[in-house]
Amino acid sequence: MTMTIAVVRRTLPRLAALALATAAVVALTACGASDVTRARLERNLPQTFSNLYVQQARILGHKGITVQSLHAQAQCDKGGPKVADHGPGSDWICLMRWTDPNVPLPDGSGKFELNVHSNDCYTAGGPSKLIGPLTITDTHGNDVDNPVFEFDACFDPNTPNTPTSVTIPAPPTTTAAPPTGGR
Amino acid sequence: MSASVQTTAPPIAGQRTPRRGASLAGVLAWEATKLRAQARARWVLLLSALAPIVIVAIINGQGRPPKDTLFGRYIHHSGFAVALLMLGFAGQWVLPLLTAIVAGDIFASEDQHGTWKTVLTRSASRGQLFWAKTITAVVFALVVLLILGASTILSSVLIVGHQSLTGLTGQLIPSGTAARLVVASWASAALPMLGFTCLAILLSVRTRNPAFGIAAPVVIGMIMQLFGTLGGVEAIRPWLLTTPFESWHGLLAQHRFTDPLRTGVLVCAVWSAVCLAIAYILLRRRDITEG
Repeated sequence: MTMTIAVVRRTLPRLAALALATAAVVALTACGASDVTRARLERNLPQTFSNLYVQQARILGHKGITVQSLHAQAQCDKGGPKVADHGPGSDWICLMRWTDPNVPLPDGSGKFELNVHSNDCYTAGGPSKLIGPLTITDTHGNDVDNPVFEFDACFDPNTPNTPTSVTIPAPPTTTAAPPTGGR
Repeated sequence: MSASVQTTAPPIAGQRTPRRGASLAGVLAWEATKLRAQARARWVLLLSALAPIVIVAIINGQGRPPKDTLFGRYIHHSGFAVALLMLGFAGQWVLPLLTAIVAGDIFASEDQHGTWKTVLTRSASRGQLFWAKTITAVVFALVVLLILGASTILSSVLIVGHQSLTGLTGQLIPSGTAARLVVASWASAALPMLGFTCLAILLSVRTRNPAFGIAAPVVIGMIMQLFGTLGGVEAIRPWLLTTPFESWHGLLAQHRFTDPLRTGVLVCAVWSAVCLAIAYILLRRRDITEG
């Protein structure tokens, strides 16, 4: 008898705790919204890109390139039109345009592929046709890392989430299909 | 030490008679002595001081930077990037392990050696013993973090250099500011590390098994980390004890954001308080006469 009571007294709180924890997890998962959103990426990516592009311009010896003069803007999309544009994933595609007299954008924009993590950090890779290869040659003739070829950034989860209303026409592609997540 | 010991009867569970003989400071000094005599604790301190030098030297010699980790791609650009890369790595399992080596063992070793009755008869109450052991584990964790962080930052700066750092918004951070931010980032790891100290104390009290007390916090940390990387758990993510290990990211952004740090303080405080409270209750209620 005492054994049974002891067992019950031991197991009941554990079961209750387990049930409570499971309920809390389910409830929290249901009501949670990801900090990773289209608007936040559209605000952060041009900012980070511009800072790094200015570094690149300094390496290449391009004069007169500042964050302001670049006017970088981005339009992001996750996994094509059928996927909601929020949450981490490696299927984020951002079209970005900027103004650099040294580098014209034939398609009006460049396509950046983003791998966004749940900790609000991401890795972005751009088109080497527009931003140069992995290593570039500086004004002294040395090969150095290209700061914009691929870069990491973390954004503030409290950045405003209102739409940026940036629209960048998709570059003309041979398949005429919108960019999808597949590579 | 033995001169101050009174020959009183062994305390009975729940007994709260104040004892003039043993002060908390006395019990604390005694716990510190026991810790100092532990080869394992000395090895941890020595490794915390020396391992970063070797690791930074190896990282510096790498032809291919570890680009999949934050600041990994800048290891040859700035020593501050190396120190932050190491911080990201340390938060994954190194810091939980280093604190658990002492905190996970400090209560359970009394079980392992069957010395509970002995230590309690040394005119120290359970409460005093609990706090003395907890303070010892907390101080040890902080000392380890201080040594590890200082060794990492110093060796990074000395081996790689103190060039300006590319921050997490692509901005260039001048050397002096970068140094302050790197120190602040390492300091921010103290709270989650203490959270793991308290978790290890709880497991040490609960399982009475030193091996479990040391290994389990590391495994729990890794599970929390894995869980945190999943999509769709955003509401729980801030409440994981591993998330505050990443809250320094905001310091390295162009427009510094400290909300994750503030949330981290709260989360670590809640984890620590809950773990310590449960551990305290378990220890007070325990029937130690059983041996």
